[in-house]
Amino acid sequence: MIVSFENRLSRFLGTTAIFIAIILVLFPFLWIFLESIKPPSLGGRPDIWRFEPSWENWHEIVFNSNVPLNILNSFFIALITVVISLICGAPAAYAFSRFRGFQGARYSILAAEMMPPAILILPLFLLLYKLELIDSRVGVITAHLTFVVPVVAWFLIGFFDEVPKDLEDQAMIDGYTRFQAFYKVILPAVRPGLAAAGIFGFVLSWNDLFYSLLLTGAESRTLPVAIAGFWTFRGIELGKMAVAILIAVIPVLILSYSIQKHLIRGIGGSGVKY
Amino acid sequence: MKKLKLSTAIAAIAWATISTSQVAHAGEINIIMEEVPDYDIVAKLTDQFTEQNPGITVNFDAMPFDAMRDKILTSSLAPSATYDVIIIDNPWTDEFARAGFLEPLDSLISSQDGYAYDDFVPALADISKVDGSIYGVPYYNYALGLIVRQDIFDSKGLAIPKTIEDYMSVVKSLTTNGMYGAAMQPQKGYKIMEEWKNWLYANGGELFDDAGNVIINNQAAIDALNQYIETHSQAAPPNSANWGFDEALRSVSSGKAATMLSYNWMLPALNAKDGMSGDLAGNFTLHEVPGGKSVLGLWSWGITANSENKDDAWTFISWISSPEVAKQRAIMGGAPVRNSVMNSPEVWEKGYGKAYYTALADILDGSAPLSSGNNAEELIEIVGTELSAAVTGQKSVKEALDAAANGVERAIK
Amino acid sequence: MHIKYKLILPLVFLLSGIMLYPFIFSLWLSLQDYRLTRINDVQFVGFENFGFIATDQSFLNAMGNTISFVASAVIIELIFGLSLALLIQKLLIFRGFVRSILLAPMFITPIAVGLMFRFLLNSEIGIIPFYLLRFGVSLDWFGPELALFSIVLIDVWQWTPFMLLMFLAGLEALPKTPFEAARVDGAGRWLTFSSITLPMLRPVIVVALIIRALDAFKVFEYVFAITRGGPGNSTETIMYYIYQTGFRFFRMGEAAAASILLIIFILVFVILIVYLSRPKVIK
Repeated sequence: MIVSFENRLSRFLGTTAIFIAIILVLFPFLWIFLESIKPPSLGGRPDIWRFEPSWENWHEIVFNSNVPLNILNSFFIALITVVISLICGAPAAYAFSRFRGFQGARYSILAAEMMPPAILILPLFLLLYKLELIDSRVGVITAHLTFVVPVVAWFLIGFFDEVPKDLEDQAMIDGYTRFQAFYKVILPAVRPGLAAAGIFGFVLSWNDLFYSLLLTGAESRTLPVAIAGFWTFRGIELGKMAVAILIAVIPVLILSYSIQKHLIRGIGGSGVKY
Repeated sequence: MKKLKLSTAIAAIAWATISTSQVAHAGEINIIMEEVPDYDIVAKLTDQFTEQNPGITVNFDAMPFDAMRDKILTSSLAPSATYDVIIIDNPWTDEFARAGFLEPLDSLISSQDGYAYDDFVPALADISKVDGSIYGVPYYNYALGLIVRQDIFDSKGLAIPKTIEDYMSVVKSLTTNGMYGAAMQPQKGYKIMEEWKNWLYANGGELFDDAGNVIINNQAAIDALNQYIETHSQAAPPNSANWGFDEALRSVSSGKAATMLSYNWMLPALNAKDGMSGDLAGNFTLHEVPGGKSVLGLWSWGITANSENKDDAWTFISWISSPEVAKQRAIMGGAPVRNSVMNSPEVWEKGYGKAYYTALADILDGSAPLSSGNNAEELIEIVGTELSAAVTGQKSVKEALDAAANGVERAIK
Repeated sequence: MHIKYKLILPLVFLLSGIMLYPFIFSLWLSLQDYRLTRINDVQFVGFENFGFIATDQSFLNAMGNTISFVASAVIIELIFGLSLALLIQKLLIFRGFVRSILLAPMFITPIAVGLMFRFLLNSEIGIIPFYLLRFGVSLDWFGPELALFSIVLIDVWQWTPFMLLMFLAGLEALPKTPFEAARVDGAGRWLTFSSITLPMLRPVIVVALIIRALDAFKVFEYVFAITRGGPGNSTETIMYYIYQTGFRFFRMGEAAAASILLIIFILVFVILIVYLSRPKVIK
């Protein structure tokens, strides 16, 4: 095949554009990593590129800070949020996918997800305060459920849509009730979807600042709140902040990488049919 | 397998419900602190307290400034306090006292032997008095002073400016060849308010007159803001319209700016060997702000009205702020609040040298608090936003100050 | 009860507890003079809070900032996301690798992104202004002219990947035949794009726009991490306004009124988008 000059030029420009985009995406990560291994005395000096790497910042964060506790909090809060979301979201998503009369409900799920946190935080705050649950992990989990549940349910509709109807029909012929068919046949069939929705919900909860900022205390503080807290009157603790940021970011990147293919179906899947 | 799942679930639920808003048990006090260098010192000293008072366990909850206000609030609204001891930023004093969050300390203070309440710098102690009752005792001050590069002033034969006009001309003359006269902090809100108010004082202005009327848009305020803007445009580093504490400090410590108005206790940090200023350490000196009337910041110790351990709380506060411990705290680098500490030769010698403490005493003498009265936090944010709008040219000086005055009228109701 | 209702029961139950109830509480709150420092002295004030908020310069300004932010961020993200998706689709090698790198930003906690850029763009210690200055370019990224734009850029960095994700999926799902027909007819690149790709992608574009725009209305972290709404109030967004009114000034009633006005605005916006983008019926 003869490739015209015009074609080669456009391919070259396209590759260049992608290359630039990759650099723009990677540069902040590279910079934050370098900051994390700069000796603290050189932190925040843009002119210095050559230095003896120092693990002092990492050592400080891992052994002399609350960050490990913050990680545990973020992890378990996200985990519990996701489990509850799946338990409530999966049957509903299945119902939305299979039965008539829920067209409106589908979109009200999306509407719930889009509810600005600003409108929920005031009542949640006052409610949790009355229940004496401010500064507890239950409070944060409750708040995180408000945006994770709708996303998980929305996400799963697309996956249930793709399971052929014959599957449960056959199961019911075999003597299963409808619920048994859902529980024993359909759910296992969408296992990748459950994993993807769960991981996506986990990432959302892990990343939240707004609710956690207002609802957590010393013992329940999550990682994003801790990261925001490195901006103190002790001066810029740039190196330590860089370490905390990397700790927050790396697991999430690994997790998200594992679900990339499913994400497309999840976020867009049931929406694209719109 | 099922059992395992169940017990995991129960464990997870139990873990999740553990809340820190638990009230301190008898013999235990919870204290909310801001993560600043002075907190590190208090935490170290507290080991001594625990030794002397084995019956009292002290739990600190240190956090960034931004998180503190609503934490104190939720603790105070609850039937029993999470925090028995709180530290109170000076703008919060009236608001919290009026809301009934704070325990009056008058009788505790007067019945405490050897406490020497009168030894606290009066300007500081007075901040915690609301409607005739004492709601807090000073913890540390953050009065503003003028920090200068003495070596530059000496080499050019410049005197330390005493008036705001002198200061303006000096910093303009210092702005040459990549060096700037003044690292300023015009960041919206708290920062610019804290800095500009020194200029307001130098012009004889105030937020309120004696009758309580808002006078933040009078001629003195207009002059002060015009001077501030002129200086920022002529003597401050370029692109500094959003600068706060970090940037200004970095600019001075790296030798790019010759002066800044900042917390008096930044001086020792700037002069520390192998510290942030590198080779410039030792060249910084501290003086009264131009005009002579400094903006005063104060953190004070208070006891929450809904605490169930008030006696233990007071035992701790009266210990940490007692003359002896106050002296130790100052020697370890804490910001002093007692006259006896600032006048102590032992502190001069083991601390940062006589010059620093006498400069600080001068600053505190005749200083005035950043803001007082009800809802001062809101007031500062509103005025600070308008000031920033004026500095960045989004509003004229008059427009900005009129809007500030309107906002203040509403905020203090 | 039919099984379909049983299946949605847990979700309905949960959502009414954590969303419907707070929402109704918010409505009630918006009609009270509710100050956290005067919790025993709450007074019913009718629509006074709405009256105040609707005429408050700061609120209107925050609303204006938010709208410009959402509009510019979403449009830039749409253009970049679509272009990148088209380019990646043409890529013969490393496609999966490129995709996973380019999608990375959307998974990072926004506060970390905000702080990273705060220090990257900082005029005193930031590496970007430092090197720009070497080329004689002096920009104040967080000064009055550029601050809101810088926040938009940060949002573009983080959320273009979302658009990219949606469009990659959309492009993959397109049928092949119309493109082959176009090639046979000798249609140029641009014509193929504007008359085949774009119209067929329309549903995906609409969904992506709505999801992203509604999400962008919630912008808080960047403002919190970097400018706190300044200089002046040039970057104060609606979420920051509500946070400040409710949790720094403790005026819960007014904050609730502001959030309800926001919801109404968003509703109108969504209805408008859906209405404008409905398929044109050929008569």
